[in-house]
Formats: sequence, C-alpha cells, structure tokens
Amino acid sequence: MKLEDSSLSKKIFYDSWQNNFFKFSVIFFLFICLFAFIYPEISAIKAEKMNIKSKFLPPIFFEGFSWTHILGTDQLGRDMLMRCLVGLRFSLIIGFASVFIMLLFGCLVGIISGFKSSWVDVIIMRITDAQLSIPMVILAISILGVSRPNLASIILVLALSGWPLYARVSRSMALIERDKEYVRGARILGANDFRIIFFLVIPIILPPIAFVSVLDIARMMIFEAILGFLGLGVQPPTPTFGNIIADARKYLINAWWIATMPGIFLVITLVTLNFIGSTLEKSKNKIFGEGI
Amino acid sequence: MHLAGQFVRRILQGVVVVLITTFLIFSILRIVPGDPVRLIVGGMAPDNLVEEIAQKMGLRDPIPVQFGRYLSQVVQGDLGNSYQRPKNGMMGQGGDFNANMDVEMAEVSDLILERLPYTLQLAGLALLISLIISFPLGISAGLKPKGFMSKIAFFISSIFVSIPNFWLGIVLALFITIKLGLLPSIGYQNFAYTILPAIVLAVETCPFIIRTISVSFAEISQEYFIKSGKVRGLTRNGVIYRHTLRNASIPLLNLLGIQLSTLLGGVIVVEYIFDYPGLGQLTIYAVLQRDFPLIQGIAMVTSALYVGLNIAVDLITYSIDPRLES
Repeated sequence: MKLEDSSLSKKIFYDSWQNNFFKFSVIFFLFICLFAFIYPEISAIKAEKMNIKSKFLPPIFFEGFSWTHILGTDQLGRDMLMRCLVGLRFSLIIGFASVFIMLLFGCLVGIISGFKSSWVDVIIMRITDAQLSIPMVILAISILGVSRPNLASIILVLALSGWPLYARVSRSMALIERDKEYVRGARILGANDFRIIFFLVIPIILPPIAFVSVLDIARMMIFEAILGFLGLGVQPPTPTFGNIIADARKYLINAWWIATMPGIFLVITLVTLNFIGSTLEKSKNKIFGEGI
Repeated sequence: MHLAGQFVRRILQGVVVVLITTFLIFSILRIVPGDPVRLIVGGMAPDNLVEEIAQKMGLRDPIPVQFGRYLSQVVQGDLGNSYQRPKNGMMGQGGDFNANMDVEMAEVSDLILERLPYTLQLAGLALLISLIISFPLGISAGLKPKGFMSKIAFFISSIFVSIPNFWLGIVLALFITIKLGLLPSIGYQNFAYTILPAIVLAVETCPFIIRTISVSFAEISQEYFIKSGKVRGLTRNGVIYRHTLRNASIPLLNLLGIQLSTLLGGVIVVEYIFDYPGLGQLTIYAVLQRDFPLIQGIAMVTSALYVGLNIAVDLITYSIDPRLES
C-alpha cells in the first residue's frame, strides 16, 4: 500500500473514509451546501418576498398546507424554506471564515510563542489565560452591541473570541517540535527562525489541528445563531437562523413552525458537520495519538 | 513545603490573570464606540451636557489613568456603583435626563451578590443533571470502546452538541410549558422555574462530560493496576468503583475547571431566554446598557471564580493522585 508514504492529512482522511457514516455525512453535507448556495438563486420564490395573503401557512402534512411552501410561511407570508436556506448560507460563510482566521492567527501566534520562549511567550500565554477566563459571549456582545454588525465584523469577533485555544495547542506542539532533530539540523544548516517555522514546523503542526477545527465550525455556527438571536448578527431583512427564531417567539403559540423549523434545519446541518469532525478527530487520534 | 510554594505561585499568577482580564474588558469597553453617558442622560440631552458629565465622571481621561483609579477603588473593596440601576430597584426612564441623576445608584457588589445564588442554583442543578446522564453513558462507552453503548454515547453527544441552546429553550418552553403545562418556564417564583433552564444547560454540557469520562475510562482500564485487580480477586464492579472511578475523576475535574467559562457563557444565554434573574441576565443587560462598572465587576468576579476554581481543582487532584504533584 502506498499509504505509508503519503502525507499525514491523506492518512487521516483515508482512515475516516473507511467509515460508511462518514462517507454519507460528507456527501450529505456537500449536498446541503450546494442546495443552500444554488437553490435560492434559481428558485422562483424569493426569501424576502412578502405575501400577506398566504401568511402563517403550516409546513406540509399539517392542516391547511400548501405545496409551494414546503416548510410553511411566516408572519409576513415569506417562504420558510428559502429563509432557512439563506440563513444557512450566512451561517456557513461565517462559520468557515471565522474558523479559518482563528486557525491561522492562533496557530501562528502559538508557534511563535513556543519558539521564542521568553517574555513574548509569557505575555501571550497570560493573555490567552485571561481571555479563556471570561465567557466569549460577554466579549462578543460588548464589541458588537454598539455598532450595526455586518458580516465582516461578526467574522472578526468570532475569530477573536476563539483564537486562544488554537494558540495554546499549537504552542504545546511547537515546544515538542522545537527540540527535534530535524529542527536542530536545519538550524545547523543555517536556516533562520522564519524559515524553520514556515517551511518545516507549520506543515507538520497545522494538519492535525485543522482536522479538529471542523468541530469548531459547528460551534461557531451555533454562536452566530446565538448572536443573531440577541439581535447582534447579520441584520434583518436578511434572514439568519438567529433573527428568524427571535422574531418567531411572538407567534410561538399559533405558529410553532416559524421558530422550530430553522432550528431543525440548523441541527441537521450541525449533526452532519459534527459527525464529520468527530470521525476525523478519532482518525487523527489513532494516527497521531491523543494530545489535542 | 514544595506544595505550599507552588500554591503561592499559582495564586500570584491568578491575580495577574484577573488583572489582565479586567484590563482587557476595561479597555474594550472604552475603545469601541458607544457612550455610556449618552445612555445615562438620555437621547434628548444636548451634546455639551454629555461632555460635561463625562468629564466629571472621568471618562475622558486616558485609559491607564482610569484603570489605575478603578484599581485603587477595587483594592479598598469598592467595585463602584452602577450607571443605570438605582438602589431601590426601579429602572430609570430613558429620555428624561434628570431622572437618574439625583437617585442613589446600586452598588455593583450588591447587585452581583444578589444574583449569584440564583446562578449557582441553576448551574448546580444543570451539572447534576448532566452528570446523571453522562456517567452511565460515559463509563459503558469507555469500558467497551467498540460496543453498542459506545455508539449510543457517540450519537447522543453528536446530537446534543449540535442543538443551539436558545432554540432548545424555546422548543422546551413551547412543548412542556405551553402544550403540556408541566413546568413553568419564564421568570422565577420558586424552584420549579430552575428545572427547564437547567435541562437546557445540561444538554449543552453533556457532550463534553461524556467524552471526558469515556476517554479517561478507556485509558485507565488499560493500566496494569486495574488489570491486576481481577487477579487479586476483585469483582468487575469493585475494580470500577474503587480504582477506575477515582482516577477517572481527575480529567473530569480538570474539564470542569477549564469549561467554567463555557458553562457561564451558556448560563448567560439561557438566563436571557427564560428571563431567569441570575448573573447572566444581569450581564446581558449591563452590556447592552453600557453599564461600565457593572460589566467590569462581573468580568472580575467571573475570572476570579475561574482562577480560584482551577487552583482548587489542582489541589483536589493532587490529593486524589499524589503522583501529579511533581
């Protein structure tokens, strides 16, 4: 088998791919993503289109449903399926982008901190301690609470609230790598810190952390929904899971589906994503050993 | 002697962490736009009045100067007074800018102490529920990593970790309170009002606990001293209760220390949904009203709790397993 020579990332992915549930989840997740990004564009129904005549239609198979609105309509007659799909689209963008930024930034800071064991290290580690000691919700709402939040500021705030964990994990891994033969060898050959960090250490440290970060994408998507619920997410009329559910609380008794449908939608997506993440993590632990 | 020295060092480090946390929150509040004075005096007040009051309150001084002043207050045991909450509990009216100026404001420490018991009650019940769910699942999954229970545990944690807490809160309120009328959910009148929020929080914490228990059980049951238990004639349950459980509780305690801020984050959201009168609800309103002294006080207390709990966890783990002391 050629697998012996292939890179660590390939090994981890190959190991997970043996699991049928994993295969199913990946395909299902890709399908959801494509559906969320393409269907609202090509469909005749638009997410922002109001139609007072067909408001409060229940989802299919409940009394008085309509085939044009599979998940029913909300208080203004807007189609729930479209609103959920557009919400999911924002949720996915925010989840992926924020994790990508926090992964790069956190790992970079952590590795530098691990390599420069000096006062830089001490300061960075105390800052991560401090940030880990307060709930990230407090941090996020104190920044987002004042200005009208937009996509970029939400992504940045989420990334800001999540980087310390990455910094600590990558620091502890960098401390191990620092004393290994190949790093000492490179140093003797005249490589400077920059070269060692970017060309030798990052390619080794980043893949295992990146696989585990799939779980964080799901976490950030939930967090985005929480912010939206508190009114600090992407602003209406753009539908997001959080603001749909927050609005729907008023109609909970008569129109239960407006609040519950987006949640079910989100939960299904997140279960798939978490499933992919945990399977990758298990494979990583099998190949790499525990430690993250 | 060695332990005492380490203990002192940990406490000093902890104080530094609390200071950094408070300074971070302190500066963020003042750097991001959003003027608390504007909210105190109301939207109708002229700009020069806002400026005058802000100067009088010292909010226009450089941040380090303000922080120094705040710290010297805190050292004397005074966390300051709230900007928005008067002592008698009535909230000031917006717009009428004379309304709150002559009323005496509540002390931050009083506000926090008043709410803390409710939050502790909620967090305690939530922890209890999640331990009751997690222990059987985690232990059976850890003892047989390939078994059926392990799969069940995996599915349950995958689903629980995917449920947004605020949505679960609304769905439970809909089905259990409105449709079935079993438990009350909004506000607080007696202990029954704690149960639904606690269930929501428990669902949020379960996956972490199940995972930690199963991983540590799987690891420890591979150790020689556990395997030799059978040879010494102990029953399977005897081995589990006397040796494995004791050692497996160490990672669990560590988890509780590390996850405290996540738990508190959940508490904030859950209390907001259920209108539960705890620290979390206080925090949300404090942040939205830009009530600087209150937010700083809460941040300081929270991070002190975090640091204190982590030191306590370390001391307990040392006493459970003296090998860790080195």
